Amino acid sequence: MRGALPLTEAFAGKHRGVPPTARPALRFTWLDALIIALVVGTGVYIGYRINDVLNYHWRWSRVAEYIVRWDERRGVWVPNLLLQGFFMTLRLAVWGIFWAALLGLVMGIFRTSRLLLPRLGAFIYVGLVRNTPPLVFIFIFYFFISGQIVPLLGLDRLAATASPTVSAIITALCGEPKLLVNFATGLMCLALFEGAYVTEIVRAGIQSIERGQWEAGRSLGLSPLRLLRLVILPQAFRRILPPLAGQFVSLIKTSSIVSLISIQELTFSAGEAAVTTGGVFEVWLIAAGMYLAICYPCSVFFDHLERRLNPLGGN
Amino acid sequence: MSTFRRVVLLALGLAVMVSVAARAQDARQQLSSSSVIEEIKRNGVLRVGISTFVPWSMRDKKGDLIGFEIDVANQVAKDMGVKAEFVPTAWDGIIPALLAGKFDVIISGMSITPQRNLTVNFTVPYAHSGQQMTANKKLAGGFKSLEDFNDPKVTITCRRGTSTCVAAKKIFPKATFREFDDEAQCLQEVLNGNAHAVVTSAPKPRMWTLDHPDTLFMPTDENLTKSDEAFAVRKGDPDAINFFDNWILFNTSNGWLDERHDYWFKGNAWKDQVSSN
Repeated sequence: MRGALPLTEAFAGKHRGVPPTARPALRFTWLDALIIALVVGTGVYIGYRINDVLNYHWRWSRVAEYIVRWDERRGVWVPNLLLQGFFMTLRLAVWGIFWAALLGLVMGIFRTSRLLLPRLGAFIYVGLVRNTPPLVFIFIFYFFISGQIVPLLGLDRLAATASPTVSAIITALCGEPKLLVNFATGLMCLALFEGAYVTEIVRAGIQSIERGQWEAGRSLGLSPLRLLRLVILPQAFRRILPPLAGQFVSLIKTSSIVSLISIQELTFSAGEAAVTTGGVFEVWLIAAGMYLAICYPCSVFFDHLERRLNPLGGN
Repeated sequence: MSTFRRVVLLALGLAVMVSVAARAQDARQQLSSSSVIEEIKRNGVLRVGISTFVPWSMRDKKGDLIGFEIDVANQVAKDMGVKAEFVPTAWDGIIPALLAGKFDVIISGMSITPQRNLTVNFTVPYAHSGQQMTANKKLAGGFKSLEDFNDPKVTITCRRGTSTCVAAKKIFPKATFREFDDEAQCLQEVLNGNAHAVVTSAPKPRMWTLDHPDTLFMPTDENLTKSDEAFAVRKGDPDAINFFDNWILFNTSNGWLDERHDYWFKGNAWKDQVSSN
């Protein structure tokens, strides 16, 4: 425990380079043992009770085939329904984070703009999206708006006329070309929806920067854009990283609601597999595990980033 | 009336008649060329909206779609000389998705109801099914007749947004209903003893009863209600209705639809293709 060190010693530079909030050394005490025992005990008890309360035949084997299957014709393992859904969710997550961050950044800057038009535009966007339930927003967007936007982008033509190489690239990045329009719609919904929350985080970050920083930048003769890029945004980014990380993890989980507009991602595939096999609990437990497998590394990555950007433990 | 006037009137009359006739032909041509049938032929693809529902349409072990519906849609496409493309859709949004043009036709065991018919057009039925009920032995084993289920203390589950739910509520108006998004959850509530019975399309309740003989029983072997399933298309397209109607008529008369229906609904030959039990 660092607290046990004499203060003078700590200040004498013996521990130079160790920031004041660095993690204390791990020490296992009887309290830890008790807590772990309690947690394990509760888990075992719940597992035991499930069999009592739940009239259910657990058969993992019938579900396993829906993760990967053996393709006899080609002699290889190929991903089946659940794993395909997992990849689709992964693609939605990566692209969703990218577009939501971009949209959020632009709109966030607009929100703090001194000009009325951008400020009003961003205000309306955030107001509309944040104050409608996600489900209603997605239904309205899918049935009324995406039908007008997607044909304009020419995605269906692209998917239909793509050469084998282009088609392979599309498949890797966005899934089957046949489902490209479907994917784009789901992605737009997700990015627009989450972008509104990112906008507010960015706005708060920019506004949290002290006035002195703005004034200093201006007195150096920086143009408004360079002032943002060189002075304000780097500092704001460091501050908004924790809420941003939370928002991105929430984006990944929210991506499950696009299953309602029939985007073939993990939740949709899991629903189909559950209905077909009758192995409801097995399928949903696997799906939960897969979401965890995406979200947890994401959280760890942001934790790591946060510690690298704030070596002194925040400001 | 002078001759001149007569000639002018005659000419005018002729002109009006010709233009009306031309416009009528125009309208006819426009109507038939804007029919979804023409669009399907142009694109070479019949886009079919489906929702997973055993044994109408489901996924086999390879992740491919199989089922009664899939056979029907593939055959329609084959007879049109095009390929069938299936758009798996959440049941709740299947009618809005049809209206928004996400696919050309719904072939998904949709029962004809007057309410639905106000928003979409139905063909003649291509399948006739009914609803069955299976109940929890411990909770409802002592019930003497179906009338015993019509009680506020009795909980019945059904799949949300289906005509089954509507029909079941008419038969048991006093019972408490709990609606779930898919059948598996409806069944699980009954197996767990949280609900007395589940009502859904035949033949699932019978299949479930055979799977769980210790827990479930069928209060009656008869179907509770009858329903007729049809294709649904967007309104204002008489050509599409005519084509699909006659396709169904043709394949009913030659026995193909019956044969396929029996294969999926009465037989077990397909059971190995899915890993369900």
